[in-house]
Amino acid sequence: MARRYDSRTTTFSPEGRLYQVEYAMEAISHAGICVGILAKDGIVLAVEKKITSKLLENISSEKMYKVDDHLACAVAGITADANILINYARLAAQRYSLTYQEPIPVEQLIINLCDRKQGYTQFGGLRPFGVSFLWAGWDKNYGFQLYQSDPSGNYGGWKATAIGANNQAAQSILKQEYKNDMELTEAVKLAIKVLNKSMDSTSLTSEKLEIATVSMVEGSLQYKILDGATVDAALKELDLQPTETS
Amino acid sequence: MALALSNAFTAMSREARRHERRTKNPANPELPAYDEEEMLMKFAMPGPNAPDDFLSGAFAPKNANDSDPALKFLHGTTTLGFVFSQGIIIAVDSRASMGSYIGSQTVKKCIEITPYLLGTMAGGAADCMFWERHLGRLCRLYELRNKERITTAAASKLLHNIMYSYKGYGLSMGTMIAGWDKDIGPNLYYCDSEGTRVKGQKFSVGSGSPYAYGVLDEGYKFDMSIDDACELGRRAIYHATFRDAMSGGRVSVYHVHENGWTKISMDDVQLLHEKYMKEAGRTTPAWNHM
Amino acid sequence: MDHLLGLVGDGYALVAADRNVNHSIIAVKHDEDKILKLDNSKLLGCVGELGDTKNFSEYVQKNMALYALRNGCHLSTHAAAHFVRGEIAHAIRHSPKMCNMILVGFDGDSGPSLYHIDYLGGMHRMNYGAHGYGGFFASSLMDRLWRPNMPLEEGIQLMKKAFAEINQRFLVGGATFTLKVVDKDGTRIIDLGEQNNSMQT
Repeated sequence: MARRYDSRTTTFSPEGRLYQVEYAMEAISHAGICVGILAKDGIVLAVEKKITSKLLENISSEKMYKVDDHLACAVAGITADANILINYARLAAQRYSLTYQEPIPVEQLIINLCDRKQGYTQFGGLRPFGVSFLWAGWDKNYGFQLYQSDPSGNYGGWKATAIGANNQAAQSILKQEYKNDMELTEAVKLAIKVLNKSMDSTSLTSEKLEIATVSMVEGSLQYKILDGATVDAALKELDLQPTETS
Repeated sequence: MALALSNAFTAMSREARRHERRTKNPANPELPAYDEEEMLMKFAMPGPNAPDDFLSGAFAPKNANDSDPALKFLHGTTTLGFVFSQGIIIAVDSRASMGSYIGSQTVKKCIEITPYLLGTMAGGAADCMFWERHLGRLCRLYELRNKERITTAAASKLLHNIMYSYKGYGLSMGTMIAGWDKDIGPNLYYCDSEGTRVKGQKFSVGSGSPYAYGVLDEGYKFDMSIDDACELGRRAIYHATFRDAMSGGRVSVYHVHENGWTKISMDDVQLLHEKYMKEAGRTTPAWNHM
Repeated sequence: MDHLLGLVGDGYALVAADRNVNHSIIAVKHDEDKILKLDNSKLLGCVGELGDTKNFSEYVQKNMALYALRNGCHLSTHAAAHFVRGEIAHAIRHSPKMCNMILVGFDGDSGPSLYHIDYLGGMHRMNYGAHGYGGFFASSLMDRLWRPNMPLEEGIQLMKKAFAEINQRFLVGGATFTLKVVDKDGTRIIDLGEQNNSMQT
């Protein structure tokens, strides 16, 4: 009887909760952490890369995706679920640009995607998507924007936020250290700092991190994944470089 | 068996279409899309698959030598309507011609849609009568649901929407919708089966309309007495019936005012002709006058 | 027999259409407005088959209102033009809409613009353009007299010259026109004074 209200996604418990949705959120809080920080000249997304085996080919990111020229996202949760949603988001972005010949406004794409996520909390027989996203984008109406969305279909705009394991700790650091009018370079450093403090591993290397930025370069938007050398240099600057022996 | 199969196919494709609609891209516009399939789902279709072809077949000449079709719509008509300071005057003739025959001299070409709305009839008699009575039903339902009268603009738009959705399917009608709206006053719209809907002060529809326009435009003033306006409408229809062989019978005149419409008169054109001749002191038409 | 023309000037765009509704040989109406206000900064002039033009331009207007309601911002003129073009291009293979259009708009970031769209789904962004028979006369006139950044008063004068030329040379004369402008302050009807009063309504 205890499991009466959590076997179906669409049934409220007597306390008015949707357990399946909460479980989905729980799944995310075990995933590698993602940090996003909005700077005045761009956005940084930083994620923890979990290396499960030495034998695993170090392929391109499975947590960071470009959705359109003006929009990228970072994923925390079940990557397989995320792939479905990212595919949907890319489709929605292209469809909009086919209809209007201009990039989709960032919030509009997120609303679109969240409507779909919401559907899975209401219509029976389906499991909610076990993913949260950080979205970094730019549009002509509101400039650079950072959003977070979760399995319930909720979303919100943030100056700096984190999702995944230890996100609360990360957020409290962000709350203390975030400054309005930050430069992107400062934001990158802050992101690394936050990851350093909220990741389990004692030593941070460029292999365990992945950092991407969305910024305006000479009047056009650029989505860039920072290479290992750049990340290492930043780590060194922050004095977080591990000793060779580790 | 064949029937059952085809029904099954219809059901399947209908289901598929429903599915398609459900999964339609929300970024796309969701107001009624211009899609033939959707259109077919939206309104009832007559039996034949291609109503346009069916009609041109059914109304073709009986044999190749005939120039006239075996059946013909109510083609000859003169109707008019105009707005003036005291409301709207609607005047119509009453002849139904079927080919070279006069089918009837007593057709009611002014359709009383509601106590506040009048519609006129030109083109296909059946189409006009059916759709305007249908409109009457819709207007009454509107009144019951909303506890107030439908405006002329809204009523004519209802009719127009139907006409537009059936555009190209062979309907034939040209109609004026006249009414008096609370707080707004008199309103006159012209709607036809091509999907036209325009608001205006002065319209004439039907084969005799050029003749009617001639008299109407000459005599029209916005500030007229009701009697003068009725006489202008009557005169215009009379002159049209005189010139247009397919118009004739009787001239009915209606006045649309604050409290709805009133039928003013119904005069036989022959008697009108005699009266007007007498008034002019003639025995023959003006063109023969020495 | 419809005439539709438009031009872009210094911080504004003008669009004009004739006002007649014709049915075979009869002029049914002399004061029809063929230029629809899509929102506070866009005007759509639409000529062609009457049922189609009214129905289609209202469809566009309502979809744009829906977009604004859903997304809290209006479409840019560029986006609206591409939306219209897409709908027409779809319709041509399904249920063709006989609509020839000129869309003008004013955007805060990019200023005024004019898009010339035909019923087949062709679209061009232009400084000036025209549809219909009147277009033959007006086009060459605008080729000759249009120049970049014309002040509003000159733009109106050029339009008036085009109206006069159409009425002087086109077989069916006596057309009257509606002239509208869109600029940073929104859309307005420009009073053409006597030109239109000479024709009874």
